[in-house]
Amino acid sequence: MDKIIEVSNLQKNYSNLCAVKNISFYVERGKLFSFLGSNGAGKSTTIDILCTLMNFDGGEVTIDGLNPRHDRQSIRSIIGVVFQDNVLDPLLTVRENLLIRAEFYQSDRSLIRKSVYEAAQTTELSEFIDQPYCKLSGGQRRRADIARALINTPKILFLDEPTTGLDPQTRKSIWNSIKLLQKKTGMTVFLTTHYMEEAAESDYVIVLDHGEIAAKGTPVELKSKYATDCLRLSVSNEYTLRQILLDFKLNFTMSAGEFIINLPDTMKALPVLEKCKSCISSFQVLQGTMDDAFIGIMGRDIRK
Amino acid sequence: MNILIKRNLKIFFRDRSAVLFSLLAIFIIIALYAVFLGDVWLDDSMQNIKGTNYLMNTWLLAGLLAVASITTTMGAFGVMIDDKVRKINKDFNSAPIKSSQITFGYIGSAFLIGVIISIITVFVSDIYIVFCGGMWMTLIELLKVILLVIFTTATNTSIVCFIVSFFNSHSAFSTASTILGTSIGFLTGIYLPIGALPKSVQFVIKLFPVSHAASLLRQVLMEDAMKASFSEIPANHLNEFKEYMGVTFRFGDSVVPWWLSVLILVFTATLFYGLSIINLSKRIH
Repeated sequence: MDKIIEVSNLQKNYSNLCAVKNISFYVERGKLFSFLGSNGAGKSTTIDILCTLMNFDGGEVTIDGLNPRHDRQSIRSIIGVVFQDNVLDPLLTVRENLLIRAEFYQSDRSLIRKSVYEAAQTTELSEFIDQPYCKLSGGQRRRADIARALINTPKILFLDEPTTGLDPQTRKSIWNSIKLLQKKTGMTVFLTTHYMEEAAESDYVIVLDHGEIAAKGTPVELKSKYATDCLRLSVSNEYTLRQILLDFKLNFTMSAGEFIINLPDTMKALPVLEKCKSCISSFQVLQGTMDDAFIGIMGRDIRK
Repeated sequence: MNILIKRNLKIFFRDRSAVLFSLLAIFIIIALYAVFLGDVWLDDSMQNIKGTNYLMNTWLLAGLLAVASITTTMGAFGVMIDDKVRKINKDFNSAPIKSSQITFGYIGSAFLIGVIISIITVFVSDIYIVFCGGMWMTLIELLKVILLVIFTTATNTSIVCFIVSFFNSHSAFSTASTILGTSIGFLTGIYLPIGALPKSVQFVIKLFPVSHAASLLRQVLMEDAMKASFSEIPANHLNEFKEYMGVTFRFGDSVVPWWLSVLILVFTATLFYGLSIINLSKRIH
């Protein structure tokens, strides 16, 4: 297995607040990796550490074989970062912004122009490339930010909540471009988000809570482990139904005249339905979503 | 040229209000003279000197040039504050450029903006001086003035850079620039002749390094005007005038020679550049 990012026992304190507590994980090359967590869970801190913007207090970090403590500049030349905030110059046009940023990485005029052209092509921003950055819509700005991050054709692309604050449609389109990009270039994408449905489309997910890893796995694993499938029944004969459910030793709750039964997986609904089809008027079988998994993980933590 | 200098210049000149704001101090000083200071500053005993207009205009220009680069570089450093507030510095820090290059970019662009605006002031003022009956600067004078402007701006940039390096917000920055912009005229003794002020204030002015830049500029700019005005008057009157107007400073019995003023400026610049670089290079916490 080819690990492009390896983190072990990472620790970071802000004066007396512990932002990241001893976390370890790795990211495989060419994969789409998500950091999921609510606000203040330590996502941005971890990203800042990986991008060499912040020192850490304990543990080891390796990025493409490089150590952020010594090889800061070499790491910086192989990463691209899309920050939570818009970090391009508002008064300059997108093209001017990109040309300036491209010069951070190389000095050859024709190569600079080429990389700006390519980044603009991949992010489809040619139609507004000569408009000032401050005149752009939120979605267009994000596209420009991503183009900025791609200017050095990075090996790893970091995205810190790339879709926060965008409307659902734009969010979807930005997200699609990220996925497309990752598929096309095969670069490693590391992103943080607090939208469950976005994390669901990545290869691997780590759920962070209060600076600790609360859960990790592929979205499917997380779903099967933390999200429960459920069966909802509209009742016509309550007494018989209760008897049948007791026979199956199933727990159930009632809400708005419906019986809600949690199931380990959807297939388990079949024998139950077979038995009770005479005393129900309708039914729904719902598979757990990432939302449920997230709530499952966080809820479990709250109970602890 | 450093790409960040280019970028900072572009941003500064594209923000019209920032440009205007950084010129504000220059306009205020000119307005103050035009409205009332111009009539006040000449002592009664000097009423019979000829060519006072020419003298006054060159004196004003020297003072203006000494402080113009303080307020203009202050405006230019606004870009640095903006970058901190908008977190644009994160973008630079995540790219493979050295922090010294980033600092150099801010200092370099502020310095260039200071020089550009000062030199524009020189030309506009010279036209005005000739228009009011003065003489054109000779080529040598012009070269000396430009050299002094560059030198003054370099020193002023270091002082402003040091002050600005402490700020992380717009409000703190604009408060500081207002305070500096209004007090600088007094600290350098350009609103009123130094001789018209109390001894204690005179002492403070003489200690303030920028006053020495003003004194050097006066020595060059007023030379012709003084020659014309004092051609028929005994030399001791001229020396008295020079001290009254702050063309030369006197500590105790000795007049500060020009090279000492230059040394004071060099020392100030070195000190403050050093301090600001220490302050600004704490980029990673």
